[in-house]
Amino acid sequence: MTLFIFYCFAAVLIFAATMVITARNPVHAAMYLVLAFFNSAALWIMAGAEFLGIVLVLVYVGAVMVLFLFVVMMLDINLEKLREGFVRHLYIGLPIAVVMVVQMLLVVGSGIMDPATLPSGDLPIPEDAGNTALLGSVLYTVYVYPFELAAVILLVAIIAAIMLTLRRREGTKHQDPGRQVKVRKEDRLRTVDLPRNQQSGSR
Amino acid sequence: MTTADAFETPDLMLALPEIWLLAMACLVLVVDLFSKDRDHTPAFWLTQFALVSTAVITINLQWGVDATTFSGTYVADDFGTILKVAALGLGFLGFAYSRDYMRDRGLLTGEFYMLSLFAMLGMLVTISAHNLLTLYLGVELMSLCFYALVAMDRDSPRASEAAMKYFVLGALASGMLLYGMSMLYGTTGSLDLATIREAAATLEDNRILFLFGLVFMVVGVAFKFGAVPFHMWVPDVYHGAPTPVTLMIATASKVAAVGLFLRLIGEGLEPLIADWQQMIVILAVLSLLVGNTVALVQTNIKRMLAYSTFNHMGFILMGLLAGAPGGYGAAVFYAVTYAMTVAAAFGVVLLLSQKNFEADQLTDFKGLNERSPLYAFIMLLLMISLTGIPGTVGFYAKWLVLKATVEAGFVWLAVLAVAGAVVGAFYYLRIVRLMYFDKPEGAGPQPSGSGGFRAVLTLNGLAVLALGIFPGALVAICMAAFAP
Amino acid sequence: MKTIYLLIVLFPLVGALIAGLLGSRIGREGAHWVTSLSVGISFALSLLVLIGLMAGWVQPFNGTVYTWMVSEGIRFEVGFLVDNLSAMMMTVVTFVSLMVHVYTIGYMSHDEENWPAGSLAGVNAYQRFFSYIALFTFAMLMLVMSNNFLQLFFAWEAVGLVSYLLIGFWFNRPTAVFANLKAFLVNRAGDFGLLLGIGAVLFYFGSLDYVEVFAAAEADPDRTMSIFGGAEWKVVTVAGILLFIGAMGKSAQAPLHVWLPDSMEGPTPISALIHAATMVTAGIFLVARMSPLYELSEVALSFILVIGAFTAFFMGLIGLVQNDIKRVVAYSTLSQLGYMVVALGVSAYAAGVFHLMTHAFFKALLFLGAGSVIIAMHHKQDMREMGGLKQYMPVTYWTMLLGTLALIGFPGFSGFFSKDAIIEAVHASDRAGAGFAYLMVLLGVFVTALYSFRLFFMVFHGEGRMDHHTREHLQESPRVVTVPLILLAVPSVLIGLFTIGPMVFGGFFDGAIFVHRANDVLAYLGQDYTGPFGFIAHGFVTPPLYLAAAGVATAWFLYIKRPDLPPVIQSRLRPLHAVLENKYGFDDLYIKGVAGGSRALGGFFSRVTDARLIDGLLVNGTARSIGWAAGVMRRLQTGYLYHYAFVMIIGLVVMLTWFVFGAR
Repeated sequence: MTLFIFYCFAAVLIFAATMVITARNPVHAAMYLVLAFFNSAALWIMAGAEFLGIVLVLVYVGAVMVLFLFVVMMLDINLEKLREGFVRHLYIGLPIAVVMVVQMLLVVGSGIMDPATLPSGDLPIPEDAGNTALLGSVLYTVYVYPFELAAVILLVAIIAAIMLTLRRREGTKHQDPGRQVKVRKEDRLRTVDLPRNQQSGSR
Repeated sequence: MTTADAFETPDLMLALPEIWLLAMACLVLVVDLFSKDRDHTPAFWLTQFALVSTAVITINLQWGVDATTFSGTYVADDFGTILKVAALGLGFLGFAYSRDYMRDRGLLTGEFYMLSLFAMLGMLVTISAHNLLTLYLGVELMSLCFYALVAMDRDSPRASEAAMKYFVLGALASGMLLYGMSMLYGTTGSLDLATIREAAATLEDNRILFLFGLVFMVVGVAFKFGAVPFHMWVPDVYHGAPTPVTLMIATASKVAAVGLFLRLIGEGLEPLIADWQQMIVILAVLSLLVGNTVALVQTNIKRMLAYSTFNHMGFILMGLLAGAPGGYGAAVFYAVTYAMTVAAAFGVVLLLSQKNFEADQLTDFKGLNERSPLYAFIMLLLMISLTGIPGTVGFYAKWLVLKATVEAGFVWLAVLAVAGAVVGAFYYLRIVRLMYFDKPEGAGPQPSGSGGFRAVLTLNGLAVLALGIFPGALVAICMAAFAP
Repeated sequence: MKTIYLLIVLFPLVGALIAGLLGSRIGREGAHWVTSLSVGISFALSLLVLIGLMAGWVQPFNGTVYTWMVSEGIRFEVGFLVDNLSAMMMTVVTFVSLMVHVYTIGYMSHDEENWPAGSLAGVNAYQRFFSYIALFTFAMLMLVMSNNFLQLFFAWEAVGLVSYLLIGFWFNRPTAVFANLKAFLVNRAGDFGLLLGIGAVLFYFGSLDYVEVFAAAEADPDRTMSIFGGAEWKVVTVAGILLFIGAMGKSAQAPLHVWLPDSMEGPTPISALIHAATMVTAGIFLVARMSPLYELSEVALSFILVIGAFTAFFMGLIGLVQNDIKRVVAYSTLSQLGYMVVALGVSAYAAGVFHLMTHAFFKALLFLGAGSVIIAMHHKQDMREMGGLKQYMPVTYWTMLLGTLALIGFPGFSGFFSKDAIIEAVHASDRAGAGFAYLMVLLGVFVTALYSFRLFFMVFHGEGRMDHHTREHLQESPRVVTVPLILLAVPSVLIGLFTIGPMVFGGFFDGAIFVHRANDVLAYLGQDYTGPFGFIAHGFVTPPLYLAAAGVATAWFLYIKRPDLPPVIQSRLRPLHAVLENKYGFDDLYIKGVAGGSRALGGFFSRVTDARLIDGLLVNGTARSIGWAAGVMRRLQTGYLYHYAFVMIIGLVVMLTWFVFGAR
């Protein structure tokens, strides 16, 4: 039964991934990617890695792909033009891809990836603790150094993003909230005394 | 798999260089934010202090030590110390040379210092990594900073294009590296390099899986080296990036790449030497061939240096593929001295550059001797060192590498490399000809730069000569680091 | 002590650097002060070391100062070997150098007249000159203090370089440029031998260190090698002869002597310092230093003996027909160097080195005296325009007389002891060629006396033959010139008397020079040695003294009594005179034969092989194909991101296929 469900998800995954590449509409492609993510998440959960599955859905589907869709819709990319090369270069691309697939099949199919021979890990997963709790306990102890490094990478990402986007350039429109808040009525409103006699004249 | 039970309190003192550098980088971040100085002077001096102090700490705490901490994810040893100190020193040179250039182009921002410092941190982490995870994170930390730094000059389409290419190809290479690592993890069930090494020594029928992963990892590492055929990004990035960033990528990151190779392949996969040796031979041969031929026809000095990089990477790979202490020592010596020489060469380019003018065409060097005999002489030293003419350090580097290659039984490769070096002499010595025998077109760029910049550059240039005459100490240090 | 040795070497170097690099800042005064002072300090320290060694409160030193690199167990080092031999050399070198420094202040004071008016080359030439001679002192000290072959070779080349620079010091003169080129090229021939010799030593004895090499050679003296075909040669013979070929170049032994007379184109102080007292004796020093090696090979020593004997007599003969005052002294130097080499050839190393020392003093004196004359004659050097200078230049006259007497071996003068010791040693030796050598050196004594007094009489006696203008300005040279003359005259006269005992017959060189008991002619002579005065007395019963006296008498007769005779003799003996004028044809052979032939051959190669074959086919062909390849490669660098990525993927797949699935 598990095997059947596995193959179902796997089949959908491969289909979705193929469609990401071949779909003409970029929004469709993005949606297929979401589908692919969902399927992989399901596969991971089936394998007992429920934390990874949840994170995949939360982060990739929930944040990354939504952002991606925004960008795709905002930029109005002409994918037709981008895709022109796809067929044209297929005659070299395809053989290479085929070769790679065959090689992977050879490696995987050679039987050495049999779970029985692979080191399945000397760790018996305790009944009372889930994958998430275990991951957490390892992350903050044994892997604290890589964990901190990942944090530094995030910091760098923030700095880099700010540096590359936050800048003043002639001719671009931008708002400065600080200056907006600090504005006083004198800056915007000018009261003018009009001579009274002129008013009376006009009347 | 590892459990939390395996945890022991990390020896923070051992990892102090990285911790200190991170703290200093954050300090630069904060100080620069509140500094009103338009030239970011506090950030500059703090950065330089951070590099120097980290180097001092590294030497004091890690030279002569061979220990791991953070549950085996971090290692401190002799050759790591050499590479770290070299990377930090090259960073120091890079900052010293780049201030005027960046200021003239409005690029002298606090972020330049921060990102470069984080890139340095990434190199240090890579060099000290003893775990696939740490190794990968270090490489990524370094690469990410470089992607952003290349793109710094947002008004330059060329820089943006370069950054884009660098980023996409870099991501591809990282993907391959990671894929290869996952193969290793899948086969051995461990991320720890020592465990992987043990497993690699007792391979049976799962050997093919190991090799499969190995190829992917070699590709990932070769990309960082810029070895042919994973080199295509190098000329565009060198050319497009602001010259100081090019300097860092061309120098410090190559030292880190040597560290990456030594940790991942030299150390972790040492039992598979018969396999990866063949791969590296191919990479080295292609690098030597392509580097020398294409560099011949370049008219832009940054591009020329980029292509000639392949040639030198070929030499470094030759040292590495020997897979013996002598070869590793030679490769480290080569990488360090080559990076130092190239740093000075970029320094001269930066010295001649002015506001709104990049002195990166070969013709800009015409008649330099009449304008500035000192810097023409330094450039002469650098070029003959890169060519590998005796008397400069480049000769010893090449000689050590060739010796190791011959000892490893690759005489034909050594012959090919020497032939390549002869071709290389053409394009290096062409610059010498331009400087000394040609008349400049028009006035030609004058050297401009602050006193400190000039002083450091002069010392850097003379160091190439001094090390050429007295290479003994550095050779001894490099060899001692690998002595069994 | 190591510090002191370093200081001895480094002071002249620092002086040279200051005078050379900062010449325009410190001016003439500064340049000659800084170099003279630094060499003076070196001299004082060297003397201290020598005295210390003799008194016993300094031990001989052999140690490394700096290890340049280690390769395959062979150490490339800078090191010092300071024993009695090198300490003596150091003292002589620094003393003569100091004298020359002081002398140069006077000699070069009007140097600007030697340069074309307004020429840039003449700017700071004075400082440059001082820088060069200080640099020479440094290089020479490095040579004599070296404890290994590598440093020896470097220093050997360094003194050659400075010699080249100084011979061509007035490089606006075509003759000077020709002379320095000639010196350089001829020395190159010798250096090639030296380098081969060092290579042979390194190859067969596996070390560059003197002591280790000597030990290795001693351990297996009969080792052989085959050079051509099956003929087996003893390694020590081959290495010894090769090393001696280097010495022949530097010490101007026939047939590599041709550069030394021409080197007189350089300023006179240089002729005194480099081409008489120190550098040219480097070859003698080399052989003496290598005595443990040479003692193992009779053949090499016989070779040395014959070369030296030939040089001693035949070069002196040429001196008879020269008219340039410096050239006469130069040929005399060649002849005297021949004497030293003869001494080496009969294993009388101590006598050779002893003659080296006395010769350094009196020959420097003669050169500086000749220089003094040249100053007075406004840089005219032709003796036929001189004469009767005695009354104008008393100091120069008397010092020159002392120097000349020392040179011809007047009893009691330093030259007497050293030359007689050599002649006696040759007489006592039974080495192959010793008979020939004895004849040569005896005839040489006559010739020496003849040309020396020919010079002396032509310059100082007789009627003045100079033009009116010169005669009016004749005067004694200034103090800076005459004081060094006097200072040099003292050792020229006395030093032999005091040092012959310890140096030749005593144990002064024990430990530095090694002689096999069977070869030790000096020890044999020493059995009869009763003291310097006994030696003088012995001199009266041996032929050299009378031959010298005959030479002087002949000179007196020909140039004072009957000055009309020499032209007559010259015309009678025209063929012989022509042979001597042409210096036996060595110059023609080298310039027209070797140099001309090489140039013709070079021209042929340049036109045919180089231009057509190498340039046309190989170089341009290679360049074309590389250019083509570069073009192709460049086209691959399209700039398209997906091309780049694709290249990477292809690379990956190819490597996967090859390594994972191929071959295995």
